[in-house]
Amino acid sequence: MSLRDLVLVRLGVAVNLVIGQIVAALLLPVFLDSVGTILVAALVGPRAAIAVGLTSQLLAAVLSGNFSWLPFGVVQIVIAVYAAGAARVGAFRRLRTALPAGLVLGALAGGTAAPIAYFVFGGATAGGVTAVTTALRALGAPLPVAVAVASLGTDLLDKTLAFGLVCLVLRNLPGHLAARFPALAT
Amino acid sequence: MIGFRPGASPLHRAHPYTPLAVAGALLCLVFAARTPAEVGALALAAVALAIVGGATGYVARPALMLALPTWLLLFVLHGVLGPDPHRAVGALQISEPGLAHALVLGGRITAILFAFLTVLATVSPARLVEAMTERGVSFAATYLLVSTLTVVPRLRARAAGILEAQQCRGLRLGGSPVARLAALGPLVLPLILGALAEVDEQVLALDTRGVTSGRVRTALDPPPDSAPEWALRWVCAVVVLGAWSSRLLDLLLTLGTRAQELGR
Amino acid sequence: MTLVRLREASFRYAGGHAPALDGISLDVLSGEVVALAGRPGSGTSTLLLVAGGYAPRLVGGTLTGERVIAATRPSVVFATPWTQLTGLCQTVFAEVAFGPASHGQERERIRATVARQLARLGVEHLASRDPATLSGGELQRVIVAAALALEPDLLLLDDPAAELDPDAADALYDLLRELAAAGTAVMVATPDTERAARAATRGIVLEAGRIVHDGAPAAMPA
Repeated sequence: MSLRDLVLVRLGVAVNLVIGQIVAALLLPVFLDSVGTILVAALVGPRAAIAVGLTSQLLAAVLSGNFSWLPFGVVQIVIAVYAAGAARVGAFRRLRTALPAGLVLGALAGGTAAPIAYFVFGGATAGGVTAVTTALRALGAPLPVAVAVASLGTDLLDKTLAFGLVCLVLRNLPGHLAARFPALAT
Repeated sequence: MIGFRPGASPLHRAHPYTPLAVAGALLCLVFAARTPAEVGALALAAVALAIVGGATGYVARPALMLALPTWLLLFVLHGVLGPDPHRAVGALQISEPGLAHALVLGGRITAILFAFLTVLATVSPARLVEAMTERGVSFAATYLLVSTLTVVPRLRARAAGILEAQQCRGLRLGGSPVARLAALGPLVLPLILGALAEVDEQVLALDTRGVTSGRVRTALDPPPDSAPEWALRWVCAVVVLGAWSSRLLDLLLTLGTRAQELGR
Repeated sequence: MTLVRLREASFRYAGGHAPALDGISLDVLSGEVVALAGRPGSGTSTLLLVAGGYAPRLVGGTLTGERVIAATRPSVVFATPWTQLTGLCQTVFAEVAFGPASHGQERERIRATVARQLARLGVEHLASRDPATLSGGELQRVIVAAALALEPDLLLLDDPAAELDPDAADALYDLLRELAAAGTAVMVATPDTERAARAATRGIVLEAGRIVHDGAPAAMPA
C-alpha cells in the first residue's frame, strides 16, 4: 500500500467513526458507519477499503468500549469488496444506479450480519436491532428469522443512504482532486 | 470515561504486550467455552484482571452499562422465550436450556468487556507505540491504529463546526424524516471534501519525516520486558491452543458418533 | 554548491487545464535564502514541491524539462501545521524526534538534536505537551523544529509564518538566515514579501507559472 493510500485509509476510518455524530444530530434511524469504507473502495480499491473496514471496527470498539462488536468485522469485508466492484462498473456515477446498488449491499450486509448476531450472540447485539429482534420473537417468529428481519431492515436503509452519499461526494469532487484517483476514470 | 488512566499497577508497569496477550487469550477462550461454569470462570478471570490493574472503578461502570441491557435481552430472548423444558420461578416460566444459553452468551460478553476495557485503562498508547516500534511492527499498522484516534477528535470538532455553520445559514435539523434526510448532504459533503483536500499535505509531511526511508525506526523509549512476562504470554498462547484443540476434537467426535448413529 | 537545478522545467497537475509551472530555469545554491512571491495560483507552492522532488513523485502530474536535485535531505514545512502532525506522538518531544527516528538514528543523537531544535525555536518548554493541545503559533514552531531535526540541506517553506505573531515571524526569518549562513539552501514562498525581503538573499516572483522577476529581494512587489 502506498503512503497516499495509507493516508486515505486513515481518512476513511475517521469518516466512518465521525459521521455517526451527524446522523445522531439529525435523529435518523441509521448508523452510516461504512461511508468511509465505501468511499475508499470507490477511490482506491478493495484492499484499502478492507483495511478501512477492519480498522474502523476495531477502533469503534476501542472508542465505545463495546468490544462485542468485533466479530461484525466480517461484514465490513463484504461491504469493501462489493463497493469496489460497484465502483468498477460505474454504479456511483448517478444516484439512479447508486441507490439500488446500495440496496443490494444492504441485503448482502444484513445477510452476513444476521448469522453472526445469531450464532455468536444469540440475537442480542446492538440496541435498536436487538429490540426489534425481541419484539418479533415475542410475536412468535422463530429466533433466526427474527434476527434476520431486524438486521436486514436497518441495513437496507443504511447502505442505500451510504451509497447515495458517496455518489454525491464523488460528483462534487473538484476536478483537480478527482484527477488524483485513477480508479475514478474507469 | 473510557480510555487510559495513568497508574502504577502491575499492568501499568508491564510490557504493553502482556495485558494485551492476557485479554486476547480471554477473548479466544470465551468462545471455546460451552458451559455456564466455564464461561463464568473466565468472566471472573477478566474481573480479576481489572482488579490487578487497579482499574475496577473505571472498568466496572462502562462494562456493566454495556453488558446489562444485553443480559436483560438475553434473559427475555432465551430464558423466557427459549425451548422446553420450562420451570416455574415465581410468576415466570423459565426455559432451563435457554437460561443456560443466556448465561453462556452473557458471560462471554461480560468477560470480553472487562478484559478489553482493562487493557484500555492500563496500557498507555505512547508506550504501546514504542513497544510496537521496537518489535518492528510496520509503520502502516501503527499509523492506522494510533494516528486515526488522534484525527477523530479533530474531524469531530469540524463536524460540529459545519453543523453550526449550516444551522446559521438556515438549515433546519428538525422536521419530517424526509427533511432531515435532505439535511444529510449539506452536512456530510463539506466534511468529506475538506478531509480529502488535506490528503496531499499529510502525505508530504509524512514523507518528509522519513517514513518511506526504508530504515528501521528507532524506538526512543522502549518499555522494558522481562522473562516472566515473556513466559506468561507464551502460557496464554498454549492455553488458547489447548482449549481450541480439545473443543475441535470434541466436535469431531460428536460428528463421528452422529454419523455412526445415522449409519445404523 | 548547486542543490537544485531546473532548466525549462514545466509541471502540470493531473487534470489541470494550464501548466502550474511553465518553463522555469533556476539554480538554488547552498547558503541562499530564496523568497518566492506571487498571487495565489501563480505556482510558488508547486515550485517548492518540484524543487524538493515531491512533485510528481507524491502528488502526481507530469514534469517536463530538466531537473537535477543534488540535495540529499530536503525537508518541507506548510502553512497549516495541524495537517503535518504525524498523529502518532503524544508529546512535542516525540513529534520532533519522529523524523530522525524514522531514519534509524541513534537514540542519544536524536535526544540531543531534538533538544537543540526545540531550544532554537523557543519551544523547549512545550516538550512534554500533547501536540494536539497547542495553539497554531506554538504548533507551527514545533513543525519547523521537526523539519530542522532532520538537518536538511534544502529547506522548503510554504507560508510558514501564517500562524505566527509578528515577533515570532521575525524570529523565524532570522533563523532562516542563520540556517543559510551554516550552508542550508532555503526556499520560502510567502505573501509577506516585506518580511521575506529582509531575510532573503534573492527574490523570485512568479506569474501564471513563469518567473517574471529573479534578483534582488528588495525589488519584489509588495
